[in-house]
Amino acid sequence: MTTAMHGSKVEATDDTGAPPQDTANVAQAGRPAASARRRRPRRELPQFGSQVLLMLLTLAFLAPVAWAVVSAFKPAVEIIRDPLGFDPTRFTTDNFVAMFSDVPLASGFVNTAIVLVLKGAITMFFAPLAGYAFAKYDFPGKNMLFGTVLLTLMLPTIVLIIPLLLEMKEFGWVNTYQALILPGSVDAFAIFWMRQVISAVPDELLDAARVDGCGEFGIFWRIVVPVIRPGLAGLAVLTVMNIYNDFVWPVVVTTSDTMQTLQVVLSTLAQNISGNTIGADYATITGELLAASSVALVPLLIIFILLQKHFINGILAGSVKG
Amino acid sequence: MHQHQLRAGPRAVRRVAALGAAALVTIGFTACGPSISGADDAGDSSTLQAPTEESPEGTITIWDRSGDLYEVFESVIAEFNEKYPDITVDHQAVDIDAKLQNTLITGTDVPDGVFLDDAKVAGFAESLWDLSDVLEPYAGDIAQQKLDVNSLDGGIYGVPWDLDPGLLFYNATALEAAGVDAESIETYDDLLNAARQYKQAVPDAGPIHLEQSAFLGQLQLEMYASQLGTSLADADGELRLDSLEYEQILTFLDTVQQEGLGTRAEYLGPTDIETLEAAKQVFYPWAIWFDFAPQQLLPETSGDWRAMPLPAWEDGGARSGAMGGSSFVIPKDAENPELAWLFYEFLVFDEAGYSAVYGPNDVYPNGLNTSIPSYTPAADPDEPLFGPVEALGGQDLWKTAVEAGAEIPGGAPIPTWWAGAVDYLGNNIQRMLDGDLTPQEVIEQSSADIQSNLVDRQ
Amino acid sequence: MTASTALDTRMPPPRAPRRRRLTRTALRRRLAPYVFILPFIAIFALFSVYPMIFTLRLSFTDWRGTGAATWVGLDNYAYLLTNPGFWSSLGNSAVMWLLIVPAQVVIGLLAAVLLNNAKLRMRGFYRTAFIVPFVTPLVAIAQIWIVVFDQNYGPVNDLLGVLGLPGIGWLTTSEWAKPTLALLFLWKTTGFAIIILLSGLQSIDSTLYEAAELDGASRRRQLWSITVPLVRRTLMFLVVLQTLAVFQMFAEPYVVTKGGPYSSTTTAGLYLYNHITRADLGTGAANSFLLVILVMALSLLFVRLLRAKD
Repeated sequence: MTTAMHGSKVEATDDTGAPPQDTANVAQAGRPAASARRRRPRRELPQFGSQVLLMLLTLAFLAPVAWAVVSAFKPAVEIIRDPLGFDPTRFTTDNFVAMFSDVPLASGFVNTAIVLVLKGAITMFFAPLAGYAFAKYDFPGKNMLFGTVLLTLMLPTIVLIIPLLLEMKEFGWVNTYQALILPGSVDAFAIFWMRQVISAVPDELLDAARVDGCGEFGIFWRIVVPVIRPGLAGLAVLTVMNIYNDFVWPVVVTTSDTMQTLQVVLSTLAQNISGNTIGADYATITGELLAASSVALVPLLIIFILLQKHFINGILAGSVKG
Repeated sequence: MHQHQLRAGPRAVRRVAALGAAALVTIGFTACGPSISGADDAGDSSTLQAPTEESPEGTITIWDRSGDLYEVFESVIAEFNEKYPDITVDHQAVDIDAKLQNTLITGTDVPDGVFLDDAKVAGFAESLWDLSDVLEPYAGDIAQQKLDVNSLDGGIYGVPWDLDPGLLFYNATALEAAGVDAESIETYDDLLNAARQYKQAVPDAGPIHLEQSAFLGQLQLEMYASQLGTSLADADGELRLDSLEYEQILTFLDTVQQEGLGTRAEYLGPTDIETLEAAKQVFYPWAIWFDFAPQQLLPETSGDWRAMPLPAWEDGGARSGAMGGSSFVIPKDAENPELAWLFYEFLVFDEAGYSAVYGPNDVYPNGLNTSIPSYTPAADPDEPLFGPVEALGGQDLWKTAVEAGAEIPGGAPIPTWWAGAVDYLGNNIQRMLDGDLTPQEVIEQSSADIQSNLVDRQ
Repeated sequence: MTASTALDTRMPPPRAPRRRRLTRTALRRRLAPYVFILPFIAIFALFSVYPMIFTLRLSFTDWRGTGAATWVGLDNYAYLLTNPGFWSSLGNSAVMWLLIVPAQVVIGLLAAVLLNNAKLRMRGFYRTAFIVPFVTPLVAIAQIWIVVFDQNYGPVNDLLGVLGLPGIGWLTTSEWAKPTLALLFLWKTTGFAIIILLSGLQSIDSTLYEAAELDGASRRRQLWSITVPLVRRTLMFLVVLQTLAVFQMFAEPYVVTKGGPYSSTTTAGLYLYNHITRADLGTGAANSFLLVILVMALSLLFVRLLRAKD
């Protein structure tokens, strides 16, 4: 199995990253022109089938979200009364206006951005590094340590909230950025996954680099990291999502408006709906919540699109060098 | 290589159990950090005293839910500062359900005052100031039901705020068209008869609302029980579900279901709204806060609705019971508990305060009409704080609600495990409405489960 | 230094001789893993291991958040293990697992294979689309589910009516509430599965496909003989992760059904969550560790299945 990987690693990463139009010729350049020509007719039909299937899936995935966004532009009461209807003549931005005046959405964005950048950077650097140590080295205590990682992965995080909060109190960290950033910044999932991904990198590749005089960190940085780029891209996406979505911990560890992340703001809005008491302005809150959710989607989509481009470019750059 | 990795996987997993304990020792963290035994510094000092200074000063942090009430309370702060210019109110909209428990357990950045459901006050009592001394001057003028729900072992742990009397909402227009005289309803037997009559005129109707959410169904059951001066547990926490009162209530609900006189739906869910608008549901025995539906969610039948006191369980019995409600609590770890008390004293017992809350304001130009004050001097039938309600055909809801509220009997405390009982009692009520249990079975099974899972594990 | 020159040297991998020859490198090599995991260990010990040990101690006590905790030994465990509510929560989660995980693996794999085609148009669009449900607030989604699956007025039952089928109590009957909720979870988390699987697929050597194609293997054949065996490790990884997620799930049933009707959607995670929200922290901690043992056993089983197939 490992022998099959020889000599093809670089081309493999090349294939993964090639975006559909602009760089397609670059991706093709490495292959014999004949084979490309021969393949073309065979792939036309599957392309059509794939598109139909993916479109259907996309529809299923996006419809509820589209509902949320469209509803945000309806009068609040209509969302409850006539959830599926939309009367263009009653289009309104009232929910957005009310939401922006009621909740500190802007500071929520700023805080989320700060946490995202710092916590994301810690995860993206230290998790692959530790995953590399777990995957490619033997050292005493390794199995015990990794067992502990698995154990914490399996422990429902909800029970850890109170102990962690008591700890933050001891440190005097309640309502600080370090409390939002450090816990969970190198989490068990990231380590587990990175170990999994790096295990698949052939040992021969590393040994060869070692012979060439590459230092241990150099091997990680110059051999492992480029090879596992698809895995890193996935980790980046999931890390961003997790940090962006996390609300249980930020809700309990922040105590002032100025420290609230976006999800804290949203959960404060949402409690009247998810809670059992239904107050008089149930409809208004629903309207504001949908408006806030719609706004919250935008930066995330931008991050995601940027991230995607970045990794595609990165992979291509690596392959050209090879 | 794959082989090797695969073997490493299960080996690591297999060792986890044994190694968890080893890690505990190795890392050596057991001795330091917070102890699981929290300091118990309660004692005599847990009864709050009012401040004595002439013009007290300081900052208080007040937590409220986001939304309309936040806006309403926000507008009271300016008035409060006219009386106490040196107290700064840091008013925050907070996800109280998610935060309060953790904050109280860890004692970090504890707020000075919190808005809390009555049903939750007893559960937090250990971390709250006993307010019986400061409330003393007002206690005689507070609705007994509200004092009961805030009491535990002789202490009072919340400043009673709103009273939420149960009312019978009915679609007057539809009932009249069907020739049913709703206004003559005085007992639940009358209600059943009126429903039968309506059902004859409108065969596809299920005139009486039957709640399908286990939680709200249990809350409504407690409204009926409150009418009879009882609740799930007495002041000593003894379960008292197995009683003639509960049997009577459950039998009523069972009858509604068996005779096809009810519409089973979740409160203001899609089915509920559609059947209310189509006049298939015309009787809604619920707390006063249902009035928000005709005002906002029922444009077709808005104006057709009226509210009257609940029917009585027996001739001459109480015509209302409480359903829901909130109070204000002051945590023991608060920095300025005395100042928080001054804020709530102003808000609840000072005329300027309660008028600002219930009277016309920016948020509610006609006044806040989804509950009434529990402080009786504020609840005068002839001095309405909020105006007539258009969606109820211009009815003077204030008068109806205040008079009904005055009839709510006391003696119905809420046990700390109330919400946990939904898994047993709330569910069993639904099973009864499915036709799977009899009222007696609901009582027996729920009593046994609540006793062993909740009462015995306190 | 590039990958291809490294490969050209064709170095055989005997480890021992090299160690003897280069002692300084060997030393560095021996120390390296410790340096690499040090930052991780610091963060991990402080913010994961320590709270975990705290929780473990808590599981042997009765603690309501205030006052002193009383040591109760194994009482919390005994209570849970003899409580029908605990077992039915496990049963509910097991059913949810069956409803979610196989479907997710199939849909996820299918979508990932399609997306892995470099020539696919609008690849970026699809990848973004699949992740969107992941980031839409749950309370908004809960609203949609409640409306769409309403027994009497929901569009799903309207559609069944058009087809002449009777309406279904999607969220109001014990039989249907689980599938309805499973659908929500599936919808919300399949994007995650796609990302994991896609990254697994992307590390597969494309020359394998080219060779297969030259041999005239059909695309379906390629899927079964190349893709599935090679992503099996990733698949197993995904299955283990989603098993954890399904057994820990609490927010979805909490916002949509509150665990009802009749506790039929009180999953293991929600049952645990209920202890914690009622400040019964000792029982909550014990419940967590029982879940850990169960999930660990399940993971072991999956890993064993995987090994047997190799």
